[in-house]
Amino acid sequence: MTPAGSLLTADGLRKVYGPTTALDGADFSIHPGEIVAVMGPSGSGKSTLLHCLAGIVRPDAGEITYNGQRLTDMNDTALSALRRSEFGFVFQFGQLVPELTCVENVALPLRLNGAKRKDAERTALTWMERLEVDDVRDKRPGQASGGQGQRVAVARALVTSPRVLFADEPTGALDSLNGERVMELLTDAARSTNAAVVLVTHETRVAAYSDREIVVRDGKSRDMERLV
Amino acid sequence: MSTTRTKPAAPAGAVPHPGPTGPTGARAWLRDLAMGVRFAVGGGREGWVRTVLTAVGVGLGVALLLGAASVPDLLANRDARAAARNPADTMSAKTIERTDATILTVDAGTGFRDSEIGGRSVRADGDHPVRPPGVSELPKGGEMVVSPALRDLMNSSDGKLLKQRFDDYRIIGTIGEPGLISPKELYYYTGSDTLSKAQGAHRVEAFGYHEETEPLDPLLVVLVVLICVVLLTPVLIFIGTAVRFGGDRRDQRLAALRLVGADRRGVRRIAAGEALFGALLGLALGAVFFLGGRELVGVVDIWKVSAFPSDMVPMPGLTAVIVVAVPVSSVLVTLVSLRAVAIEPLGVVRSTTARRRRLWWRLLLPVAGLLVLLNQDQVTRTGGEDVQVYTIAAGATLTLVGLATLMPWLVEAAVAQLRGGPVPWQLATRRLQLSSGTAARAVSGITVAVAGAVALQMLFASMHDEFNTTTDQDPRRAQLNVSSPEASGPLAQRMIDDFRAAKGVKGVIGRVSSYVVRPGEMKSGDDMRPTTELSVGTCATLRELARVGPCKDGDAFVVHSGDRELDQWVDRTARPGEQVELNSESWGDDASEARGKHRPWTLPKSARTITSRPDPAGDRYSGIFVTPGAIDVAKLADASTQALVQIDPKVTDAEEYVRNAATHIDPLIRVYTIRMVERDKQYASVQKGLQAGAIATMMLIAASMLVSTLEQLRERKRLLAALTAFGTRRSSMAWSMLWQTAVPVVLGLGLAISGGLALGFVMCRMVDKTVSDWLVFLPLCAAGAALVAAVTLLSLPALWRMMRPDGLRTE
Repeated sequence: MTPAGSLLTADGLRKVYGPTTALDGADFSIHPGEIVAVMGPSGSGKSTLLHCLAGIVRPDAGEITYNGQRLTDMNDTALSALRRSEFGFVFQFGQLVPELTCVENVALPLRLNGAKRKDAERTALTWMERLEVDDVRDKRPGQASGGQGQRVAVARALVTSPRVLFADEPTGALDSLNGERVMELLTDAARSTNAAVVLVTHETRVAAYSDREIVVRDGKSRDMERLV
Repeated sequence: MSTTRTKPAAPAGAVPHPGPTGPTGARAWLRDLAMGVRFAVGGGREGWVRTVLTAVGVGLGVALLLGAASVPDLLANRDARAAARNPADTMSAKTIERTDATILTVDAGTGFRDSEIGGRSVRADGDHPVRPPGVSELPKGGEMVVSPALRDLMNSSDGKLLKQRFDDYRIIGTIGEPGLISPKELYYYTGSDTLSKAQGAHRVEAFGYHEETEPLDPLLVVLVVLICVVLLTPVLIFIGTAVRFGGDRRDQRLAALRLVGADRRGVRRIAAGEALFGALLGLALGAVFFLGGRELVGVVDIWKVSAFPSDMVPMPGLTAVIVVAVPVSSVLVTLVSLRAVAIEPLGVVRSTTARRRRLWWRLLLPVAGLLVLLNQDQVTRTGGEDVQVYTIAAGATLTLVGLATLMPWLVEAAVAQLRGGPVPWQLATRRLQLSSGTAARAVSGITVAVAGAVALQMLFASMHDEFNTTTDQDPRRAQLNVSSPEASGPLAQRMIDDFRAAKGVKGVIGRVSSYVVRPGEMKSGDDMRPTTELSVGTCATLRELARVGPCKDGDAFVVHSGDRELDQWVDRTARPGEQVELNSESWGDDASEARGKHRPWTLPKSARTITSRPDPAGDRYSGIFVTPGAIDVAKLADASTQALVQIDPKVTDAEEYVRNAATHIDPLIRVYTIRMVERDKQYASVQKGLQAGAIATMMLIAASMLVSTLEQLRERKRLLAALTAFGTRRSSMAWSMLWQTAVPVVLGLGLAISGGLALGFVMCRMVDKTVSDWLVFLPLCAAGAALVAAVTLLSLPALWRMMRPDGLRTE
């Protein structure tokens, strides 16, 4: 059953990689502007859940609905278009394109959507200022610090004003100080744009920035509120 | 009480700590090289992938080098095989008496479509005839032995027509390896009961005669030297590239070694050890590839190039050079490539972007090469054999290697200027800006190959006229020239009739000819009896040979060629209303020389004098032209027949129907194709060798570029998956990859064309030729573009695979 007003829901997701069952009937839902932390131990299936929700990986069974559209019925082109326009991503190691400058990295999703270079970079710079990394605009990712790089990645994820931001261990490679700063900036920016955030983490410190937590264990998801 | 703590044993496979005072000098080298080898062998999947990539790359290069080192022996062996089946003593004045072992033999080769078929007609004089090599039983009349390739061709549906040509013969065996030049050679021996010396046959008592082959033309020597340099330099560059395959990942592993205490020199030596193992494995693989390829050359026939595997033996000296040079150069290349990389305990720092490449020293090599060539003495066809082979090779190699050293500078300088553009373009150019060296290395092979090919094509074009002579033949008027030595009028008539009846024949210009003399006593002051040629043909035929004008059967003509002296000689024999003698031998210069009966014939009084014109085969005839109604050809003594056959181009294999008809009339009749241009055989075989070598080199370059691209993709697997996550289209990444391959290739082609034109100009100057075609590079540009497209297309499946979301998984 889809919770009323949900932006993105998943019902009975199942995904198997060879002999490993990553998801085994996982459910999920998120409302616009809501920040949901997906927690669980390593190998529990949290990243797979995120990948399925974002339309990166097709589940073997189950259903995902975004804004009334069934993701499971969409072809690869439609899913790619959806990811370009509606979703944003932050990964543990940033995954910035090493040969592009930081501002070009942030502008990349806009340019993939057809924006002109100058316009895209102007918008990108606004986001970089907001995330306090405008000083590395012309540097390559390798020339920026880990914390700066991750904030550049957050700016890149938010630059298209996505309705859902998927963050997979966004602070996993940072020290606690830098991690907290990234989380503050990420959540503030998301709230200001009313973007929903799916935050995969195994750190309670990071999960504390969320509105709600769910736990994935052995491929099944449980809402923390219900456990309490 | 004291306790002694023992150090825990290191787990198996752990890297031993070098210790504060590790070995130095040669021992340190040996230790680190050995450790590198251990990493290459025991580095897990990553290590093996890298080692295998290097080994396969080096192996391909080594196989080509071994192939090149086999060429001298291959040619010598082929010569020896050809010599072994030549009849002995045919060229000497020695008379061979008929014995139980002697045979009569004559060349009886033919052709089928675009293949030449060698052959001999043989007739044993006794019961124990000498046999050519590879033939266990000499064929008797109506029998033949054939090479395995000819047997296969005749038994195939393609060779149906060829089989018909020999349907008077029964195949009694196949020619063994000792009797053939190559496994795919088309060759046969036919037996005859009627073969005689009159048909041009020689009596032989043994086989095995080494014909003195002409030394290679000095101009062709220059061409061959350049071909060797052009084909082998990219192979050397390729080997240099192959030992650097997977270098980035190796450097990361070496950084981990630095963390546990290895010093900078140590990790370089370890890296060299890894490369050394790859190169040694590559040598072994190269030997395997070479042996496999050698067998393949024995069974497949690419552009009619095949060879017996046993004939392809690399020269020991050259093999030794390859065996030593490949591992040594792998170590040197690794050490040099690591100069620009600082492997620190916490990672790898490339200093390539910090230090801009300098142009001046890169220009030295090509300039030095061109200067060496400019200072060479001119080589001419008559200039003897003292061509400075090594100097030319050194000059050309310096120039071409110099272009390869210019490439990194050019790519760096050019891509630094590239700005903006769509996303795929931006991704590609930025990638090139960040690591232009990898891209430059990948295309340096193609740069050298194309530059060399441009120079070669220029040289070929400038020499074209020298080795391709115009024949004065006119293939528009007739396409085949058939001639029979048979001295018989009726047979000549049969030839004409049979050719006319052959499928696909539109017309036959058939001419029966003989020499006639003026009868009677010789006039005082004449050194020899006035003689002229008498040609018999229909009015249509005669019109092809002279400006005949009105003509009907029964007419005769006196024909002048336009040469005054010759025409006077004709007029002394051919006198309208007077007799000529058809049996020229019946009037000897004195009575004792006269043989046979007189056969006088009167040239009709009405015979007009006309002027000849060249026939389709380019020959011009004079004397007496007669239509069949005016003379009985059976009365002609020593007649020979020539038929110029016009075939219908719309009928497939019309030429083969004519050849079949010819063989059925007389197996010794030769059929020649009328050609406007005659190509020098040596020149043609050099061109053929270049074609085969160029394809092998191009394939090697494509393989190198493909491996390089796949390697880059593998290193970027996670990034590609991330780009897919935020919706990057596959087409965007494909375009990016295309640009990433195309930009260096275009730059490389530009450099190759300029360098190639300069080298070609200097080489043309050396052989005293002017450049006849400055646009020879256009087809090569197309080849370069095709290469880029092929590499991109072949990389796409890997790109799609790398763009799968699996790349984001960490568990």
